[in-house]
Amino acid sequence: MLRMQGLSKVYRTQMIETHALRGFEIHVREGEFVTVTGPSGSGKTTFLNIAGLLETFDAGEYTLDGVDVKGLSDDQRSRLRNEKLGFIFQGFNLIPDLDLFDNVDVPLRYRGFSGAERAERIKHALATVGLASRMKHYPAELSGGQQQRVAIARALAGTPRVLLADEPTGNLDSQMARSVMELLEDINANGTTIIMVTHDPELAVRAQRNVHIIDGQVSDLVRRMPSLVEPRAQEPVARPAIQ
Amino acid sequence: MFHYYLVLGVRNLLRNPILTTLMVLTLAVGVAASIATLTILHIMSGNPIPHKSAKLLVPLVDNGPAKSHVAGAPPDDKQTSYIDAANWRREAPVEMRTAVYDVNGAIEGLRPDLPVEQVGGLAVDSDYFAMFEVPFLHGNAWTRAEDEGKTRVIVVGRKRSEKLFGNENPVGKTIHVFGQDFRIVGVRDTWNPVPRYTRLINSSGGPLSGEDDAYIPFNTATDVELYNNASTSCQDDERQPGYAGFLKSECTWIQFWFQTSDRAGLASYLDNYASEQRRLGRLKRDAPVQLFDVMEWMRYLEVVSNDTRLSVWLAFGFLLLCLVNTTGLLLAKFSARASEVGVRRALGATQGAIFRQFLVEAGVVGLAGGIVGLALSAAALFVIGKQARSLSVVTQMDWPMLGLTFVLAIAAALIAGLLPTWRATQVTPALQLKSQ
Repeated sequence: MLRMQGLSKVYRTQMIETHALRGFEIHVREGEFVTVTGPSGSGKTTFLNIAGLLETFDAGEYTLDGVDVKGLSDDQRSRLRNEKLGFIFQGFNLIPDLDLFDNVDVPLRYRGFSGAERAERIKHALATVGLASRMKHYPAELSGGQQQRVAIARALAGTPRVLLADEPTGNLDSQMARSVMELLEDINANGTTIIMVTHDPELAVRAQRNVHIIDGQVSDLVRRMPSLVEPRAQEPVARPAIQ
Repeated sequence: MFHYYLVLGVRNLLRNPILTTLMVLTLAVGVAASIATLTILHIMSGNPIPHKSAKLLVPLVDNGPAKSHVAGAPPDDKQTSYIDAANWRREAPVEMRTAVYDVNGAIEGLRPDLPVEQVGGLAVDSDYFAMFEVPFLHGNAWTRAEDEGKTRVIVVGRKRSEKLFGNENPVGKTIHVFGQDFRIVGVRDTWNPVPRYTRLINSSGGPLSGEDDAYIPFNTATDVELYNNASTSCQDDERQPGYAGFLKSECTWIQFWFQTSDRAGLASYLDNYASEQRRLGRLKRDAPVQLFDVMEWMRYLEVVSNDTRLSVWLAFGFLLLCLVNTTGLLLAKFSARASEVGVRRALGATQGAIFRQFLVEAGVVGLAGGIVGLALSAAALFVIGKQARSLSVVTQMDWPMLGLTFVLAIAAALIAGLLPTWRATQVTPALQLKSQ
């Protein structure tokens, strides 16, 4: 589903070069729930940004659902992001002026769905996270946990192939964090691939696999489900043209 | 998506009413100033008879004395002598022609309850009404035979008719005016072309205001020895006394109009005519005959002054300043929404989608600016019209100017919004998402 090989990312200023990722290798299979851990500055967020097509990389290969993303234009990356990826952020990143319905509607608008299909998807996504009755509420009227659920609904509404979560429980108390984690596990159980960056070791070990990053490289694999760790037969890498 | 962007634009503007009001007002004031001055220019320089203005021609023959002539200089005067007018009326190869001059006199004895009043009007040929498409409420113009017969007939203006006869049709009645009894043959309906191009050099307020009370035949006017009531220029040292002497003089006091589709033919006739008059010793100056159509004539007489043009340029300069201010306000507004841009980009919005969304929002500011600007323009024109009666007729906004107000406001807002919108598309989503 997601494969990075020999990936490098360097941030340059006039004075210094910072190697955020160096020779980074990862292969996430369809349906996996992978947690990414590592100390601050290790490259977790850079990895997630590159995985989410929000940043480009300097060297290496990155294939997302069979599409080689290297050399794609900004518009092509935006469309691929919209179709295949869902994002969950630590700060929820809901748009405060839009009610829950319209917040969940945002990625669907860019997808070009009809009004009826959008409405159906929004209702279903909000029902999935238990907030169907609060569609016309605004983010400020919700608790942090509920806001994160809305963000999850927004990420789910477009039925993405991969859900990228950047410390989704970082701003929540432990009870809410557990609740959100359970929701993510349910979503994963329904077949959605999830990659989650977290600082919380308790949450990290709940995933099928934990990838630990140090100094921009994968340093260790915590194998909780061995059957999923070893790659099966090499997946063919297609390079369909992105329209 | 346009509807989506429009709804988002309206919502975002309502979210910050103070900033929005500032932007809309800034834009509206600039648009109002531009539209108010442009309206005046538009009306003053507009073509009053577009479908035939090129066929209506004014001749200018330089009949000044030889002694003060400077070769190549424009004619001293902008009117015509009776001699030229009489010759052209008799022989010019044109479809229609008319001489025009201002007449003024008292109207009296119609009803005992009405005081003696001054009547201002024009002495014209019968062709005048067809040439300038004068509308009639009752009756018609007099005929060429009545021209030739120096008949005492008159066409009165609607206002004068209503003042004298109420709503009654007065055709056939006789009124005593200019010291004579005149039979009314027609009532001119409301007709107030601006500028008053048929008689720009007049006695009733200049090219922009005034209305004629009555029209009498040119031949009749000269027969009853009515002098021109507007500008008359006499450089003729050999002028004989009396009205007959005045008619035989080189004094210029008549506005002459031709209607022809063959401008070149008329120009050729006038050149030959001037050569002949020079050969006869009447015209002293070797100056070419000039011919102007309606628009050329208005430009020649500088109906639109340089001050009016300058005020339009100044107003547009002011609009430019307002645009710079609006750009600054939009920059502030859009910069504050960098995080929203980051989220939208992460959720799949292309840079183009962000550009369109924010540009539509700027357009909504322009639309609001147009509405407010329209009200301010109307107010400004009202105030300008109150300053002088002569300006009141040029301070009427028409449909094209109304449309232009909105086009100008929206275009101005879009231009002002280009930089802020482009800046919004340059937001780095990853940076914004992490900084939230």
